Amino acid sequence: MKQQGQSKQLRFDELFRLLNFCRTVESEGTDPFDVDVKKFLATLKRYQPKWRSRDELLLDAEALAELARIIELQEQWIRDRSHSFYIDPGLLELKLKLLEPQRLAAAFMSAWHPILGLDRLTPERLQAGLAYWHALLPFGERGAEFPQPSLAEVPFELDELIALNLLAGQEFDDALQALLHELQARGRIGYYEFIFTDTYAESIKRAYLTSYLVSEGMAELELNPLEETVFISPRERAGSAAARLSVSRSIPLAVSYEAWVTWTRRQRNHEREQSVS
Amino acid sequence: MDETTEESRTRAERKLKRAAQLLFFRQHRNPGVKGWELKRALGEDYLEVLGVLDAALDKLGMAVKRIEEEGGGGEEGAGVEGAGAERDRFMIVLKGPLLEKASGERIDTIALLSATLAYLMAKQGKAPRKVVEEFLGAKFPQQRVYFALDRFIKQGYLGEDEKALFIGWRTRAEVDRKALMDLILAA
Repeated sequence: MKQQGQSKQLRFDELFRLLNFCRTVESEGTDPFDVDVKKFLATLKRYQPKWRSRDELLLDAEALAELARIIELQEQWIRDRSHSFYIDPGLLELKLKLLEPQRLAAAFMSAWHPILGLDRLTPERLQAGLAYWHALLPFGERGAEFPQPSLAEVPFELDELIALNLLAGQEFDDALQALLHELQARGRIGYYEFIFTDTYAESIKRAYLTSYLVSEGMAELELNPLEETVFISPRERAGSAAARLSVSRSIPLAVSYEAWVTWTRRQRNHEREQSVS
Repeated sequence: MDETTEESRTRAERKLKRAAQLLFFRQHRNPGVKGWELKRALGEDYLEVLGVLDAALDKLGMAVKRIEEEGGGGEEGAGVEGAGAERDRFMIVLKGPLLEKASGERIDTIALLSATLAYLMAKQGKAPRKVVEEFLGAKFPQQRVYFALDRFIKQGYLGEDEKALFIGWRTRAEVDRKALMDLILAA
């Protein structure tokens, strides 16, 4: 019995080692052909009939997914190498180390086609700047416009809401899963298009749940400040290595009543147009 | 009939001027104008207008360049034609290489940028920042390397993602990468 447990542990260790190796290749960008895919597959095939529990099968599936990613990287690697200006990295690295900075700079200048652009102030812009200046309150007075909220009075953390019996843990999980399934079904979609529904209260609830989907790495936000658009899409692998490694940052998104009203009006117009046509 | 032709010519000229103004004068922090902005300002036929502008600039040694946004395959197009242009960025670049000094940058900064780009190109366009820092650290003080890399990222020559550096949109717009590699190898 003890021996059986030991061999099971050995199998786990080997799979984890292989998985970590694949992830290192993926994150460091090293040669994906360092992974012996054939051998890895043979190992998986050998162990597969011995897996019984759900965890074991999940590990097996994760290993297969990782292997597929490595094969994708190998394909990309070959494509890059077949690119017209592929040069042996070792040779180039040596050349770069030997070259004088002046010659490197000269090479860059010869291959450089700078963007042409001018920065000019127009009278209209100066006027707008002046208007802004006039409208601006003195610095000392502006603090009062944005009073700091009292943290003690806003128990918006999930644990606190559960503790106050405002929300049940299971209920929250179910709602989260339902929203995730909906997002998966709808695919990449405008953020506001996704969260807004018939009622403003429901829209706020969806925005709150959506923030959890994003924070937990189950969904991804795509911001385009120039176009002022925000898209949301389900992550292919929830809680994947990429999601875990990504740098966390706060993204403030206003869900104002006015925006909801505009959205509902647009929806109604759209429906009306559709019914007419 | 003549009046209509005259009208359409005036309209085309006006659009051409507007396109030149939009592309020559900065609208945002980053140079260039998005396709959807040009469409809004010039109309549905904005790609045709840009084509005419490109032909006009060609005589002056300049060109309209179209750059695909990051994550969209990372390829730049010569000229303006092609589908899916609304999300792309358009800008005017010098066509031929510069003969004289045209930048106030220090020679060692240009050398750092040149070496970084060549190194990244050799690594299929992406490498961990730490590795690049170590590589550049062989010739420059670490502190100088950190600042230079941060500046290149800010300027758009490099991109940074999960502690890895990659070729930025501005390099794709401004640098003839094949020529750079050839020149480095031939030096």
